[in-house]
Amino acid sequence: MSSIIIIAITAIVVLYLGLYKVKSALLPVSVLGLLGAAASLVCVWDKNISYFNDMLVFNNYAIAFSILLIATTILIFLLSGNYFEKISSNVAEYYTILLFALSGGVVMVSFQNMSMLFIGIEILSVSMYIMAGIKKTDSASNEAALKYFLMGSFATGILLFGIALIYGATGSFNLVQIAGKASEQPLLFYAGVIFMLIAMTFKVGVAPFHFWTPDVYQGAPTLVSSFMSTVVKTAGFAAFLRLFGSAFTSVPAIWTVTLVVMVVLTLLIGNITAAFQQNVKRMLAYSSISHAGYMLIAILLLGQASPNAILIYSVAYSIASVASFGVMVAVKEQKGSDDLSAFNGLGRTNPVLAFVMTVALCSLGGIPLTAGFFGKFYIFGVAIAANYTWLIAIAVLMAAVGIYYYFKVIIAMYLRESENSESIQLSLAYKFVLIFCIMITILLGIAPALITNIL
Amino acid sequence: MLLLEQLPVNYAPVAFQFFVAVGFVVVTMLATHLIGPKRKTSDKLTPFESGVEVQGNARHPMSVKYFLVAILFVLFDVEVIFMYPWAVNFRELGILGMLEMFTFMIFLLLGFIYIIKKGALNWE
Amino acid sequence: MTEQLAWLIPVLPLIGFLINGLGYKKNPKGLVGLVGCATVLGSFILSILVFFDIKANGAKTIDLYEWISVGTLKIPFSFLIDQLTSIMLLIITGVGFLIHVYSTGYMHDDEGYGKYFAYLNLFVFFMLLLVLGSNYVIMFIGWEGVGLCSYLLIGFWFKKTEYANAAKKAFVMNRIGDLGFLIGIFMLFSTFGSISYADIFPQAQTASTAVLTTITLLLFVGAMGKSAQLPLYTWLPDAMAGPTPVSALIHAATMVTAGIYMIARSNILYVLSPISMAVVAGIGLATAIFAAVIALTQNDIKKVLAYSTVSQLGYMFLGLGVGAFTGAFFHVMTHAFFKALLFLGAGSVIHAMGGEQDMRQMGGLKKHLPITWFTMLMGTLAIAGIPPFSGFFSKDEILAHAFEVSPTIWAIGVGGALLTAFYMFRMFFLTFNGKFRGTEEQHHHLHESPASMTIPLIVLAVLSVFGGFVGVPEALHGSHLLNEYLSPVFGQSTQILNAAHHGHLSHETEYALMGASVLGVLISIFYAYTVYVRKEVVPAAETAPRSGLEKASYNKFYIDEIYNAVFTRPLDSLSQLFYRILDKSIIDGVVNGFGQLTQWSADKFRRIQTGYIGNYLFMMVVGIILILVFNFLF
Repeated sequence: MSSIIIIAITAIVVLYLGLYKVKSALLPVSVLGLLGAAASLVCVWDKNISYFNDMLVFNNYAIAFSILLIATTILIFLLSGNYFEKISSNVAEYYTILLFALSGGVVMVSFQNMSMLFIGIEILSVSMYIMAGIKKTDSASNEAALKYFLMGSFATGILLFGIALIYGATGSFNLVQIAGKASEQPLLFYAGVIFMLIAMTFKVGVAPFHFWTPDVYQGAPTLVSSFMSTVVKTAGFAAFLRLFGSAFTSVPAIWTVTLVVMVVLTLLIGNITAAFQQNVKRMLAYSSISHAGYMLIAILLLGQASPNAILIYSVAYSIASVASFGVMVAVKEQKGSDDLSAFNGLGRTNPVLAFVMTVALCSLGGIPLTAGFFGKFYIFGVAIAANYTWLIAIAVLMAAVGIYYYFKVIIAMYLRESENSESIQLSLAYKFVLIFCIMITILLGIAPALITNIL
Repeated sequence: MLLLEQLPVNYAPVAFQFFVAVGFVVVTMLATHLIGPKRKTSDKLTPFESGVEVQGNARHPMSVKYFLVAILFVLFDVEVIFMYPWAVNFRELGILGMLEMFTFMIFLLLGFIYIIKKGALNWE
Repeated sequence: MTEQLAWLIPVLPLIGFLINGLGYKKNPKGLVGLVGCATVLGSFILSILVFFDIKANGAKTIDLYEWISVGTLKIPFSFLIDQLTSIMLLIITGVGFLIHVYSTGYMHDDEGYGKYFAYLNLFVFFMLLLVLGSNYVIMFIGWEGVGLCSYLLIGFWFKKTEYANAAKKAFVMNRIGDLGFLIGIFMLFSTFGSISYADIFPQAQTASTAVLTTITLLLFVGAMGKSAQLPLYTWLPDAMAGPTPVSALIHAATMVTAGIYMIARSNILYVLSPISMAVVAGIGLATAIFAAVIALTQNDIKKVLAYSTVSQLGYMFLGLGVGAFTGAFFHVMTHAFFKALLFLGAGSVIHAMGGEQDMRQMGGLKKHLPITWFTMLMGTLAIAGIPPFSGFFSKDEILAHAFEVSPTIWAIGVGGALLTAFYMFRMFFLTFNGKFRGTEEQHHHLHESPASMTIPLIVLAVLSVFGGFVGVPEALHGSHLLNEYLSPVFGQSTQILNAAHHGHLSHETEYALMGASVLGVLISIFYAYTVYVRKEVVPAAETAPRSGLEKASYNKFYIDEIYNAVFTRPLDSLSQLFYRILDKSIIDGVVNGFGQLTQWSADKFRRIQTGYIGNYLFMMVVGIILILVFNFLF
């Protein structure tokens, strides 16, 4: 709880710092506040504290995911050094809104009551609607914001409807109590579950509710896209799993088939469409859809290992995404484009950037000795435990397609010539983040035991 | 299949009302459409403005400032609703409740100061 | 000793990779070559020590650390060093070292020198990981890693599009195989609850034959991709786009034998599934013949060697399939020697010819490249199976086992051996005998390669000549050292196989078999000699009409006309047919078809993303309605 308060207060302090034109203090204050929030979470590890009549319960699951969200946000903040000064004059608002979004994310991973789930999702989503459109004069950015907002509010309505139906069926918002009363009014309850399923799958961008993702990711400023594809997605999946893993476990029959279809559809659409893209940013957007497909497998086949599998996948995926988006920002800044051709010859001109991108893409593709391999490995482990071999076969095949399009970038970087041989200058913080991400990716690829058994 | 079989009988009135409502709308709309005579003249197709002659276009641009102020008004207006339950339960909630409400008010106030400082309420 | 130092074996090349990889722009060439060779040499020395330790004290498992543990799944990062592994270590590091040394000469003028050595060291690292791992997951990591390095090295001269395409093709083909392998690993885990060799093999007999057959066939799909068997082999001939030492190391001596290693490692699983054994033998035999027939008409010196590699790999699988595990592994070893030698020799020829690979432009190189000529002769004799060169013993062992299973298989196998002898000597004679057919400029340029290239050739030639003596069959009054050494690995499988059927061949039968195959090979070589040396036939250029030289021979040797009509022509056209139709259209077509299917469907999927929010909302509502209808009405 204290972490949410710290994040919210940091946000307001940052907002006022911006108001009084103390621009140089924005980043340090935000990062310090986030470190404080993370520290306050570490202090309550294993304590399992609940707040406000079980509205929020900070168990280890909530803490682990909150720390992941906070850490990812710190990394993105460090990357954004002067990125936002270039695209907008309201730099403080950028930090503030992302901090608010983060506090929503923390609520989403620690809720025990569906009203808190709704509030968390709304805090996160509304912040993201603004962030998507923060480039006020860029029509692509405006379009992204409007699309995101319209479709997001559509999904929010469905979510509320679902919550209302479930409340009608069980007379409670509390996950534990809901689980106990699942069979009292089956029709209402089932309908509620289906509506919540639809809303949650929309929020995490799963086919057939994925349409907003590519357009929004591409229209939004790149670092905001990276925030969306990491923090927002992780929070969404953690909330999804928390909801289904505790409240709806007794009725898997009603959602399993629907989710299976969604998983297959998501994997197919995400991977195959990504294979076609010539724009790296759009390719990463589609690939993020496909990653949602893999993570959904762990929810689909709820088991003991699911929380761990989602956590590992999220860690691997978030870190690799931050690194790849970071490289993309740097490339775009110099070449003015994030098309595949902008990456030509990067291995020659900027070996460090190219190496970072290679490791990050290998991790996203699930090549062994990177964290991403274990993400997929544990997800597949869940499917094996549930005897869904055919699903793994599809997933592995799609992972192969994934490797194909990730390698397109690697090929461009190492095996093609660039017209322009200038190397890109990076700030120290930027280099730190990229190297840090890569080190974590490789470290977890060699010693995944560091995080595999926390939950 | 499973679910339709379990449909409780006491929902029947709801379903009945639903069908009546939908049926009424559909029937009346179809009926007026089919029965009524149609005479289309240019006068008949202009928007009805209480007999006053139409002036200009209804969709003329408004200053965006107007929306900003309107939305901010709604925002603060809605927040006041939270004070009603607090006022009703003032005694039961005690000193803790009051502190919480003050915290809430401080946050609102901070937002308000921010708005003013940003110049969102300056019309010119 | 092994426990303390074994981890260094893979780590040394990794260090080499880091040094060369991180500083590939700055490191001076001397340092790059030194680091590249020295790290592999270090591993080789350690491998020798390990070999003697294992020989004296038996197999060892070295636990490095607990790697993954979820619930019941525990995967330690540990190495299993047994007899099989120790020999693989020697082959990889020994041949690897020689090829590194050779590369310092061959690649000397290439601008990507540092990058090349970094990739090569990385390859050695992954290959060592593959054979050292004590469970299937570590093997898989090595498996993927070598695939990656192979991909990078095939596309090393990426400026040529066709080379980059060859790299892509290799990658895609291998992924198809890997898919089977990966699912096989998952099935192993769900059947046995573990993926460690030490847990799986002892309880192999508890699983049902059907499950074992599925698992072994899936694993074999992986092996088919990696070891270039029908129908996943076409990447290997294309892989010749890489630098020649790479072809020698990766696409002849080591990586492509990973599939053999995997099956030899899992021998107990295969032995328990007769169907899988039959499939392995069948595919192996078919590949051996098929590739040999194609090799008959190839004019690119590296293509001949590539198809010959595919064919020899087929023999190894044949050996595995008929239960000759030691024989197959023996062939892995001798093949590593002579095929590396042949590739490096070919590299030396290509080097001298200034990059020319077409044998029609060569000829008469014997006097210009004496060392290359002599060493290549040794290699060619070895692969042809002339006693007492190494290839004779290993091939003979496989064929003898094949005879035990069925004389027909033996006969087909010997037929393949005759083709092998013919096309190898065809290549040899076309290259070294007769007159020089290249340009004047090339003629001036001809020179023997530097010592850094010839010394590895000589060492490999010695190994090719004498390498077979570790496995002299009983019938020739030798002691089969390799069989003895490997018996702990294959002992159980051999017992099961012996219990199931067939007794041993008598020595007389063995003599007869050897005699028959050697005689056939000699005739085949003699035939090659008459055609390509006495008559100096040069394969016609694709467009040019037959030369006058051939017309003369037409009239002189009437008998050859009959040969041509009865034997060579049909074989020629069959070979062309296989190459053109099967290889190029059907197999490549299927592979390319997959790619096109993906592109096509991607295009369709992409069109759903119209950009109009109305459409999106419409699709979403359709999705919601479908979900609701599905859930509440059905």
